[in-house]
Amino acid sequence: MTSRVTRIVAEVLGIAAVEITDDTSPDNTSQWDSMTAVNLVAAIEDEFDIRLSTAEIVSLRSVATVKEVLSAKGIADA
Amino acid sequence: MIPFIGAALLARDTTAEFRLGPYNQLFQTCLDPEASFDGPVEIVVLLWRLEDLVLDEMIGFLSGDEGALAGASDKIASLAAMIRQLRSSFPGMVIAGVPPYPTDIGDGILSLGNPDGLGRLHRNLVGEYIDAFGKIDGVSLVDLDAAQRQVGLAASFDPRKWYLYRQPFSDAFLYPTGQQICRLIMAARQPAKKCVVLDADNTLWGGIVGEDGIDGIQIGDEFPGTAYRDFQRLLLGWRARGVLLALASKNNEADVWEVFDRHGGMVLKRAHLSAAEINWHPKTENIPLIAQALNIGTDSLVFIDDNPMEVAQMREVWPEVTSLLLPADPADIVSAMQELTLFDQIGVTGEDRKRADMMRAERDRETLGVRISHVDFLKALDLEIDLFRAGTEDLGRITQLINKTNQFNLTTIRRTLDQIRALSGTDGWRVYGLRVADKFGEYGLTGVIIAGVSPDRRRWTLDTLLMSCRVLGRGVEAALIGGLAADARAEAVSEFRASFVPTAKNALAASFLPDQGFRPIGAQEWHLDLAAAPAIPAHIRRIGAPAEPFLAEVAE
Repeated sequence: MTSRVTRIVAEVLGIAAVEITDDTSPDNTSQWDSMTAVNLVAAIEDEFDIRLSTAEIVSLRSVATVKEVLSAKGIADA
Repeated sequence: MIPFIGAALLARDTTAEFRLGPYNQLFQTCLDPEASFDGPVEIVVLLWRLEDLVLDEMIGFLSGDEGALAGASDKIASLAAMIRQLRSSFPGMVIAGVPPYPTDIGDGILSLGNPDGLGRLHRNLVGEYIDAFGKIDGVSLVDLDAAQRQVGLAASFDPRKWYLYRQPFSDAFLYPTGQQICRLIMAARQPAKKCVVLDADNTLWGGIVGEDGIDGIQIGDEFPGTAYRDFQRLLLGWRARGVLLALASKNNEADVWEVFDRHGGMVLKRAHLSAAEINWHPKTENIPLIAQALNIGTDSLVFIDDNPMEVAQMREVWPEVTSLLLPADPADIVSAMQELTLFDQIGVTGEDRKRADMMRAERDRETLGVRISHVDFLKALDLEIDLFRAGTEDLGRITQLINKTNQFNLTTIRRTLDQIRALSGTDGWRVYGLRVADKFGEYGLTGVIIAGVSPDRRRWTLDTLLMSCRVLGRGVEAALIGGLAADARAEAVSEFRASFVPTAKNALAASFLPDQGFRPIGAQEWHLDLAAAPAIPAHIRRIGAPAEPFLAEVAE
């Protein structure tokens, strides 16, 4: 089953959900640039109804770190 | 910003390619747009914040240095001068932003020192900047300050985006900003609606005059009359921008006029209406009568009614009429109407402001026309034409005519203000305007001719020739060609070429060329030997100095 995070990352970056793993990051995904990073933050905040701090935003360097940040905010089913 | 402008344009079936200029290089971009955007562009949008331009001055001012305000004013004036420079050198559309309130500097907007501090600074600088554009023709302003007020200051700014990415604004703010930029772009490209046709009962006032009587309807100082009164005020605002007001009401005519003439709560008076059809016929039958009375196409009409059946029927029979259902709650009427973009146009001209009054003079002319014979009628009209080389102050109105005249239009070539400005400045083209007046008043600038000059300068090709239908049929067509021929002969031109390009709407102009003595030389091509050109008819006087511009200009 596609996780909510995977679905959002796929939508924002415009790539297929099946291609996204925990390791997906700006380093291995050309679509994940500084512009889409801004959109990704907005999409995550919308989806989970949260507000990320600047420290959290800069830590979002891969799908795995997105999940860690969300889990630290008590969102388990991300 | 770009996705928000792009999405707004797509919603209006328009695609665009975007180029992002270099960050914080406003002056450079104004001086050399092509270098800044890495190639030619059609539209330049300059958005800026006070923080980008006068940060040091603002900090100085907030630290108690009153003189810093003057320094900031100087920089604003230089920016305006730079935009004027861009305007004069760049042929495309220029959109300049009015800066929003600075969100990341000094105390907050609700701090007690704000009214005389940052609040004053922002108001003053924005005021000076906007004033500067009163003197720059052809720059469209997009008001980011207003967009910010619409969404709220706090919601407009995202400090995280600012500190992390140097992008200060929230999506909530970028959305209306994109919408506004799109509105400006589309207003320059699409003709605006010309007339709003209004229902009366439960639209202009609450209640039904035929049942409740003049004393029973609601209009004036008590709710819901207040809501209808505010709607009437808004309609007068539209009228002042050139939108014609018309009435389509199922009523006894006398009942409705009694309300207009005698009810003290009415803001709208009978004289404000350019046409009215008050009867018991279906409104779908009255719509073409109104269009005809005003000499405009049905696709220029907006119909507003509180009755869903009327609106549905209108949409069914006249799909090209924009039919709108009035909000059921009177309290929602004004806010809903304020959102309409149907009457958007770039730079409302003096002609627009006077249009509704000129249409009234038209009704008086028609009354004269039925009383006396045609020849006497023409003489009695005291017709005057002013055929003149268009100056920069006329180009706004000329652009409007070019983009909205459908009926008496030989080629229906549409052009933007910037394209016309470019043509009017070159030796190979002549851009003429036509003003018509008679004893009842002025029709204003109602005709346009754009002629291309052949390389040997012996021939003018009438690329564009159009007139408002209001001035047709009194010999003005012949006077136009006669006057133009006189000017052309003064430049040693011997021949006019012209074409008639039929459209669904310009049948009215089909016989113009042969009527004026043009002879066919191809399927749509016509020519006129200027030796055989018609003279200006005797009952029409040409005023203003005959144009002999090139001799004069060379002499300077």
